Amino acid sequence: MELLPPFHVATPGSIAAAVAAGRHQEASRFIAGGTDLMVNLRHGLGDPAALIDLRGIPELRHVGTTGPDGLVIGAAVTLAELAEHPTVATRYPAIAAAATAVGAPAHRAAGTVGGNLCLDTRCIFYNRSAWWREANGFCLKYQGDTCHVAPTGKRCHAAFSGDLAPALLAHAAEIDIAGPDGLRRQPLAALYAEDGAAHLRLAAGEFLVRVIVAADPWPAAYAKARARGAIDFPLAGVAVALRRSGDDVDGLRVALTGTNARPFLLEGTEGLLGAPVSPAWLDRLGRLVQKQVSPMRTTLLAAQYRRRVAAALAQRLAATLGGAAVVGDAA
Amino acid sequence: MTAMRNTREVVGQPTPLIDGIEKVTGQAKYTADLPAAGALVGRILRSPFSHARILAIDTSAARALPGVHAVVTGDDCAFTYGVLPIAMNEYPLAREIVRYRGEPVAAVAAEDEATAAEAMRLIRLEVEELPAYYTAEAARAPDAVPLHANKPGNIERAVHHRFGDVEAGFAAADLVREQVYRCAEIAHGQMELNGALVAYDTARDHLTIWSTTQVPYYVHLMLARCLDMDMSRIRVVKPFVGGGFGARVETLNFEIIAALLARAAGGRVRLLLSREETFLTHRGRPETEVRLKLGMTRAGRLTACACEVVQRGGAYAGYGIVTILYAGSLLQGLYDIPAIAYDGWRVYANLPPCGAMRGHGSVDVRFAFEALLDSMAGEAGLDPFAVRRQNLLSAPTETQNGLRVESYGLGECLDWVERASGWTARRGRLEPGRGLGMACSHYVSGAAKPIHWTGEPHAVVHLRLDFDGGITLLTGAADIGQGSSTVMAQAAAEVLGIRLDRVRVVAADSMLTPKDNGSYSSRVTFMVGNATIDAARALRAQLLAAAAEPLGVPADTIECEHETFRHIGDDGPGLPFADVARAALAREGGAITAKGSFTCPVEFQGGKHKGGAVGSTMGFSYAAQVVEVAVDIDTGMVTVEQVWVAQDCGFAINPLAVEGQMQGAVWMGMGQAIGEETRYERGLALHGSLLDYRVPSIVESPPIALHIVESIDPNGPFGAKEASEGALAGFLPALVNAIADAIGLRLETLPVTPDRLLEALAVRRREQRLARELAREQTHAQEGVA
Amino acid sequence: MTQATKQVRAFCLNGRAQEVLVADNVLLLDTLREALGLTGTKRGCDGGECGACTVLIDGTPRLACLTRTQECDGHGVETIEGLAENGRMSRLQRAFHERLGTQCGYCTPGMVMAADGLLRRNPDPSVAEIRAALAGNICRCTGYVKIIEAIQDAARGAP
Repeated sequence: MELLPPFHVATPGSIAAAVAAGRHQEASRFIAGGTDLMVNLRHGLGDPAALIDLRGIPELRHVGTTGPDGLVIGAAVTLAELAEHPTVATRYPAIAAAATAVGAPAHRAAGTVGGNLCLDTRCIFYNRSAWWREANGFCLKYQGDTCHVAPTGKRCHAAFSGDLAPALLAHAAEIDIAGPDGLRRQPLAALYAEDGAAHLRLAAGEFLVRVIVAADPWPAAYAKARARGAIDFPLAGVAVALRRSGDDVDGLRVALTGTNARPFLLEGTEGLLGAPVSPAWLDRLGRLVQKQVSPMRTTLLAAQYRRRVAAALAQRLAATLGGAAVVGDAA
Repeated sequence: MTAMRNTREVVGQPTPLIDGIEKVTGQAKYTADLPAAGALVGRILRSPFSHARILAIDTSAARALPGVHAVVTGDDCAFTYGVLPIAMNEYPLAREIVRYRGEPVAAVAAEDEATAAEAMRLIRLEVEELPAYYTAEAARAPDAVPLHANKPGNIERAVHHRFGDVEAGFAAADLVREQVYRCAEIAHGQMELNGALVAYDTARDHLTIWSTTQVPYYVHLMLARCLDMDMSRIRVVKPFVGGGFGARVETLNFEIIAALLARAAGGRVRLLLSREETFLTHRGRPETEVRLKLGMTRAGRLTACACEVVQRGGAYAGYGIVTILYAGSLLQGLYDIPAIAYDGWRVYANLPPCGAMRGHGSVDVRFAFEALLDSMAGEAGLDPFAVRRQNLLSAPTETQNGLRVESYGLGECLDWVERASGWTARRGRLEPGRGLGMACSHYVSGAAKPIHWTGEPHAVVHLRLDFDGGITLLTGAADIGQGSSTVMAQAAAEVLGIRLDRVRVVAADSMLTPKDNGSYSSRVTFMVGNATIDAARALRAQLLAAAAEPLGVPADTIECEHETFRHIGDDGPGLPFADVARAALAREGGAITAKGSFTCPVEFQGGKHKGGAVGSTMGFSYAAQVVEVAVDIDTGMVTVEQVWVAQDCGFAINPLAVEGQMQGAVWMGMGQAIGEETRYERGLALHGSLLDYRVPSIVESPPIALHIVESIDPNGPFGAKEASEGALAGFLPALVNAIADAIGLRLETLPVTPDRLLEALAVRRREQRLARELAREQTHAQEGVA
Repeated sequence: MTQATKQVRAFCLNGRAQEVLVADNVLLLDTLREALGLTGTKRGCDGGECGACTVLIDGTPRLACLTRTQECDGHGVETIEGLAENGRMSRLQRAFHERLGTQCGYCTPGMVMAADGLLRRNPDPSVAEIRAALAGNICRCTGYVKIIEAIQDAARGAP
């Protein structure tokens, strides 16, 4: 038998009921597929008295493609459902690719869009058994006061490791958040903060309801570096959305995951607009990426690798979307 | 032993495992699946310290907790254990000193998980920390504190072997090269988690253990020793076992701890380890540094080999002495090398103990050897296949360190993989980033000299015929998924001329089955197979004697085929098996038990030098393989596109299982080569999950085409040798050789993870740039002078 | 230690109605193995790493080690024990047996259930589709070669 905290599970049938449940439960956690949270609870990472399962709320279970908002994805839609949705598969290949890059089929059949966007950050000093963490003196992220990745610092460097976020960021997605103060819409990017111990800007009792993506997406793609062909979290994941006007790039968004405490949109890409994708252009893109990612020793593979490969993947995707024939060596 | 008949009905036929149906239907019961109603929950408290003197363990609060039935510590067992009689230096629960993070210090048996977990929290461990060493280098430093008082310098064993005139060999070489190779420590990653169920009967002082073991007899020995019980009061049962690969070839601490708990609690205890704890129990392949020097003539003939090996063995002895000896002894037996110098050091460190793993001792050295040979072949402008062919042995022969080679199919293996891979036509002509590499490897078919010398045969098998006409084959050999029970059943059915499904195998239950040393060093097919043939011949003699009277011909003119006894040459109806069985039971006075045995003759037991028994065997298997890779120099990813492997297994008693073993071995070599490694943070295992310890998934696992070479070993059962280990080691060098072919970069460190590959490319680019700049400066300088 | 209250959960298990009295924090893996004696579903890791506990929930492969029993209320759960009909191995099980898709057998139940889930959706999968479908099921014995062959055999309806 696996020892889990003695939580009970609430299964609200509406957003209002879920908000109420979140208000009434001390130390409750929202849950959907549980592929991340259940593993963490098995490792003693958290001790909630209650889990609020959001999958019984009809609005959260739906992918909509017909409304004025474009693509609307319920937060409790599974990653498998998302990847297989005909509109997503054909018109939003980066999103489908990112959803398919998560874990393995059984994870994607349970894991949800909201769960992947709100995935806990990961670190070799955090995703460990209770015995291990205690033997190591715990860590800044949970139960301790030292970050073993950067012991002199005051901030947790655990890395955000969801695949879906960069693909949605590259499409400038927005999200709806429900909570005690009602429903609010904001850019997805505003959900995240560069702090591994508090990377989600969600107030107590708030949860993700849906993701909204514009109807007329730029061409986009997602690529992920990982040691094995499946299962693994991204060492680095890159989504690129690139719109051309003639040969010139006239729209560019590059979003990254796995390298920082949050997924983020690359800054300074406007400097790459108005020119065709060329080896020099790709070189500039690569340098932008290398400058802005800040991988730390949170994975077993070297941090420097994640920096290099993030740049290489960004260049590769941009080259493909931009129609360039050659890619420089990123390293 | 010679073959029985010219026509083979059962052996040589691809045969699904006789216990396969249970596996695919979920009926197979592994240790954790056994009924355990009422069993107490066992749990182990593990040391959070790398190296410390235990000052006190206070278990009073845990003992007082309602629902706790037993708490045991090092005070409850003053006996050491270990697989080698000369190196038993481990306690099941630490006494006085803990030597690695994760070492058991206490254990509880409680009524449920929650109580057991609470009891863990209530145990207080008070220690004085000692300096800890996580590398062989640190442990060997002059001022290092010895982990074990009797091992100064933390050297568990130093080996210095010299065969032939090494100096003269290097002097005679046209090309001498030396290189250092490093292999990370790896783990078996067997799918079934470690665990044991123990029932202790207080009234009768009798203990039964069901455990995840490859060596029920060794478990039996160590339980008797550590619990100070007469062996007859212990029963060891091996249920279905979910893989081993060497992880379970010695008694492990949790088995003794579960027994201590059951006796202390006076009842049943089930102790199931987590994946992390299974990794902490370890016994994997040690981190190894190999410094290798080879001499070669212009024609590719090897003239001498000098090899230094340092293994970081972890905190306790385990198989360590054998591992460091294997690393040297198996430099021989594959090629004809005139002179070999070997220096090996097995070093203690404050990490979980290493042990035996598939290809025990030979793998990392073979990686170095075949990688350096490939590099030298390139330098000499020779084809890698040609170089191997220059150095083949010629069987029968004896190596300089006293290893006998009676059959040798390496040449055929080379021919097949060269042809099947399209080597000659394709190598050097592949698209950019693609490459082909090859390598050879070999392994023993069982150690010819047993670890525990008792004077008994090396293997014993019983065959029993009773009223129902079924043949029960009783063997102590542990089928852990490799299919040994199927091989034994085939061998018995073949000799007896009966249907395979008339044979039922009862394996590895000490109450019923004869002693067997266990499933390690690929000994079972060879030794237990021969014992089975011996037993089947004995039973056949009794059946033929019983058939002689009704057939009215002498017994030695009768044969049994397809369960029908006939006078040889007669094509009449003959006598059905059931009639002969009845007659035999009447004649012999009821149930017949025939015994067969096998012993490796002393002349096969290795050289007379110290440690000369390690590596000795009655038959080496041989393998050659070609690996094709695609290297992505932007991401550092190496994709293994295809493998071609041929192995000389003597004779394939079950070709289906031989194929499965070969593919599994090659693939396990791939895991070590491209991704698997243990990692520690100041002695804390960072690899304690299947996310962090990267066993390859199906996605990146390549097609493996194979060919079985049958050299028909004169001593093997039906000519068979081992098939499970020999092909593993060759993958590692074949991979780095293929990468060198693809991108011109020679890698000396395993595993070839994408970060290491990108770093190596970056280093090469820096070096090339510096070289260019230097060249430019020199040109400038020369122009200046001019 | 506070004990979570137990509730009756009802689901369809291998085609039969099943009720269990279980707390919300109990994993399906433990309910199957410890409460219901269905030990064919294996534990091979500490959560979501290996696929040995793969079962079908409403026909889709899921990990019993990350699924709470409470979640299964009202759903259909299938385990390896449910595949054989009247004691006869399914075509897929027979192929795993005859093609040596199983060696030690520990990953086999999860592997077979993941493959069964695939064949229900895609009766004639390519090798790439087989690899994708079994991506989360670790096998340490076979190198996966004969597992792929077994699934191809079963798909082709080979005897």
